Amino acid sequence: MKYFIIVIFLFIVFSLGSAMFYLVKGKGQSQNTVRFLTVRVAISVLLFLFIIFAAYMGWIEPKQPPFLAPN
Amino acid sequence: MSEASKDQYYVPHLAKWPIVGSIGLTVTFLGAIQALNSETSITPWFMFLGIGIILFMMFGWFGEVIKESEEKLYNTQVDTSFRMGMIWFIFSEVMFFGAFFGALFYARTFSVPWLGGEGIGLTTNEALWSGYEGVWPTNGPGDLNGRFEIIDPYHLPLVNTLLLLASSVTITIAHHALRANNRKQTIIWLIATVVLGAIFIFFQAEEYVLAYREFNLKLSSGIYGSTFFMLTGFHGMHVTLGAIMISVITIRVIRGHFRPESHFGFEAVAWYWHFVDVVWLGLFIFVYIL
Amino acid sequence: MSQDITHDEVAHGHHDHDHKPKGFVKRWLMTTNHKDIGTLYLVFAFAMFILGGAMAMIIRLELFQPGLQFVEPAFFNQMTTMHALIMVFGAVMPAFVGLANWMIPLMIGAPDMALPRMNNWSFWILPFAFTMLSATLFMPGGAPAGGWTMYPPLVLQGGHNVGFLVFSVHMMGISSIMGAINVIATIMNMRAPNVGYLNMPLFVWTWLITAFLLIAVMPVLAGAVTMLLTDRYFDTSFFNAAGGGDPVLFQHIFWFFGHPEVYIMILPAFGVISEIIPTFARKPLFGYVSMVYATAGIAFLSFIVWAHHMFSVGMPLGGSLYFMYATMMIAVPTGVKIFNWVATMWRGSMTFETPMLFSLAFVVLFTIGGFSGVMMALAPVDLQYHDTYFIVAHFHYVLVTGAVYALIAGAYYWLPKWSGHMYNERLGKIHFWWSTISVNVLFFPQHFLGLAGMPRRIPDYSTQFAEFNMMSSIGGFAFGLAQVFFIYIVWKTVKGGDKATAQVWEGAKGLEWTVPSPAPHHTFEEFGPVDLDKMAHGKNH
Repeated sequence: MKYFIIVIFLFIVFSLGSAMFYLVKGKGQSQNTVRFLTVRVAISVLLFLFIIFAAYMGWIEPKQPPFLAPN
Repeated sequence: MSEASKDQYYVPHLAKWPIVGSIGLTVTFLGAIQALNSETSITPWFMFLGIGIILFMMFGWFGEVIKESEEKLYNTQVDTSFRMGMIWFIFSEVMFFGAFFGALFYARTFSVPWLGGEGIGLTTNEALWSGYEGVWPTNGPGDLNGRFEIIDPYHLPLVNTLLLLASSVTITIAHHALRANNRKQTIIWLIATVVLGAIFIFFQAEEYVLAYREFNLKLSSGIYGSTFFMLTGFHGMHVTLGAIMISVITIRVIRGHFRPESHFGFEAVAWYWHFVDVVWLGLFIFVYIL
Repeated sequence: MSQDITHDEVAHGHHDHDHKPKGFVKRWLMTTNHKDIGTLYLVFAFAMFILGGAMAMIIRLELFQPGLQFVEPAFFNQMTTMHALIMVFGAVMPAFVGLANWMIPLMIGAPDMALPRMNNWSFWILPFAFTMLSATLFMPGGAPAGGWTMYPPLVLQGGHNVGFLVFSVHMMGISSIMGAINVIATIMNMRAPNVGYLNMPLFVWTWLITAFLLIAVMPVLAGAVTMLLTDRYFDTSFFNAAGGGDPVLFQHIFWFFGHPEVYIMILPAFGVISEIIPTFARKPLFGYVSMVYATAGIAFLSFIVWAHHMFSVGMPLGGSLYFMYATMMIAVPTGVKIFNWVATMWRGSMTFETPMLFSLAFVVLFTIGGFSGVMMALAPVDLQYHDTYFIVAHFHYVLVTGAVYALIAGAYYWLPKWSGHMYNERLGKIHFWWSTISVNVLFFPQHFLGLAGMPRRIPDYSTQFAEFNMMSSIGGFAFGLAQVFFIYIVWKTVKGGDKATAQVWEGAKGLEWTVPSPAPHHTFEEFGPVDLDKMAHGKNH
C-alpha cells in the first residue's frame, strides 16, 4: 500500500516535470503546460481521496510514538 | 541600447539593484548571526532591517522589469531566458527540499533502526542504548525533550491538503481564464487562490501552536521534531512567498497587465504554486501519513 | 557574408568604445556587461587565490620542520579550513565563472549573458560573502577550524563562527546558482541562430554540463549547512545520535554535494584544455562528440559515487562494493578524454607557447592525480590512505595541476583577446617551468608521506617525515612566489606590450577570434547567423 502511494506520488512529480518542460519548450503558446498541470492536479486529488479511503479501510495505520502506543 | 528592436536582445544597462540586494543579504545574515550568538535573547533588528532592504530591492528590481515588459522591450527570446531562469530556480528549490527529505528518509530507514539494534547497529544498541527499540516516530534513544504526541494527519493536515489542492485547482482555472482573456474570472479565481493559501498558513500556524503547547512536540524533540518542523517550516515559508507572489500577480492583472498570449509572470508564479503544492503532497504522505 | 559580419563587428567595436560607462561605480558596480563582470570575477578569484595561497604558505611554514614553530595548533586548523574554503569557493569556482562570462557569449555569438542584471548580482554577492567568512579570523574564537567539509560534531564546537560559516556558504550558494542559471539560459537560448548544440566549442559544452551540476548540488549543500545551523542554535537532532539522528548523515549529504563539486571544478578545466590543445597542435579536436558524451558521463556518474569519501566511516558491505565499482567507472570517460587529447596532438604540427605548455603539463599531471584517485577508489586500500597526505597529494594534483593549471593556461590563451596585448613569451615560459618544477617538488613527496602514514590536518609530525616535509615546503614557497611573478606578467601585459591581432594564435578557430583584440565592449549585438567556417566544429557534423 505504501509503495502504491509512493508510485502515484512519483507520477505526480513526473507530470509536474513535464509541465516544466513545456513551460520552456512551448513558450507559453502550447496547451501542453496547462494540460500537464491539469493532469497533475487531477491525480493529486484522486490520490488524496484514495489515502482517505485507505485510512478508512484500515489499509494504512496511523503511527504513534512507541511510549504512547496502547499495550 | 535601450531602444531595442524586435530582433535585438534587450540588454539593460546600469543595474543599481544587485548591490542593494547584496547589502540586504549581508545585513540580514549579520543580524541573524548577532541574535543567534548573543547570550541573552534579543530582537534581531538588524535582520529585520536587512529583510527590509531585500524587499525594497525586490520591489525596485521587479518593478523595473515589469515596466520594461509593459513597454514591450522584451522579445520572445528574452521571455525564454526568463522561463529558463524560473524553471531552473524551481529545480534548485526542489533539490533544497530534497536535502531535507533525504535526511528524513535516512533517519527512518537507516539511523533510527540502527540505533534500535538492527543490522550493523547491534553492538551500538547493546552497549549504548540498550532497550531502545528504534520505532518511528521517535525523539531518539536519548528521549530528547521528553514524551510527545504527533499531529493527527486526519484533522488539520487533511484540511490543509484539501485547501492547497483546491488552491491549485483555482489557479489552474484562473490560468485558463487568462488564456481566454476573461479578466474578471481570472481576478476572482486568483483572489480565491490567495485566500486559500492564507487559510492554509493560518492553520499551519495553529498546528504549530498546538504542537508546542499541547503535544510537547518541538524542534528539539529529537529527529522527529527536527524533520517535522524543518520540512513543514520551509514549506510554510514557500507558501507564504508564493501567496505574496500571487497577490502581486493579482494586482498586476487588475491593472491590466498580461495578454492571453504573453503572461510569463503569471505562468512563473502559477508554476511555483504547483511546485509548493506538490511538496505539500510529499509532506502529507511522508511526514504525516506514512 | 562572414567577412561582412566581421567588418560589422569591427565597426561596432570602435563605435562602442565610447559607450563604456564612466566612473568606477557605473563601470564596475552597476555593470551588466558580460566582459566587465568576467573581469571582476577573474580579478576577485585571483585575489582570493593569493589570500588562500598565503594561508597555504603559513601551513607549509609550520610543517617545514617537526615540532611547533610558528603558529598555534588551533590557528593551524583555521588555516587548513580557510585555505580550502577560499580556494574552492573563492578562487577556482569564481575564476571559471569569470572565464564563462567572458568567453561563452563570444564563443556562441551572443550579445551578452541571458540575464545581465542577475549576472551582476551573482558576482557582487561574493565579495560580501568572503568578507563575512574571512572576518572570523579576527574574532574571539577565530575562524572555523573543523575542516572545509564541516563535519559535525567537530564544526559545531566552533563557537561563534558557525553562523558566519553557514551564512557565508549560503551566500556563495546563491551566487553560484544564479551564475549557473545564467550560463544555462545563455547557452540554450542565446546561441547565434545557426549554431547548433554540436557546433558549440567544448568549453561551452563543459560549462553547460557544469551548470547543471551546480544547480543540482549547491541547494543540497545549503540544506546541509542549514541543518548544521539548526543543530547548533535550535537544538535539532539531525546529526545527533541521542536524538535519533546521525553525524554520518551529514557526510552523506555533504558528499552528495561534494563529489559533483569536484567535477564542477574540473569539467570547465577540461573545456579550456580542449580549446587550447587543438590550437597549438593545429588539428581539430579528436573525437569531439565522444568528448561531449564523456563529459556528460562523468557528470552523471558524479551523482552516484559520493560515499567513496566515506569508506573508513563504515557502511554496509554492499554499499562499499557498489561505491567502489561505480567510482572506478569514472576512469572510463576520463580516460576517453585523456586519449582524445593525446590523439589530437598525434602528428600535429605542434608549437609550445605558454598556454600549450600549461595544457601539456595539465594532461600529464592531472593524469597522475587521476591515477591516485583510482587507487583510492579501492575500498580495502582506501582504509590505508584515508586522511593521510596521500589524499592531500591526490586532490592537489587534480586541483592545482588540474584546475589551476587550466585556469593559468586559459588566462595566457585569452589574455591577448582581453587586453589587446601579447604577454611576454619569455616570461611566460619562465613562469611555466618555475611553477611546474616547484609544484611537483611541493606535492609529489606528499604521496610518500601519506603512504608512510602521515595524517593530514596536523601542525606537528613524527621526525621520520621531516625530509619530505621540508622538500615539500621548499617547493611550496617556490610555487607561491611563481604566482606572484604571474601577477607581474599579467600586469605588464595589461599595461602594454605588442599589439595582439584579432586571430592572436595561428591555429586558433572559434568565433572569439573573429572579433578584434581587445574585444570591444559590445560584440554580436545584432542576432544573426555567424560564419560556421570560423568555428572549430561548425561544419563537421
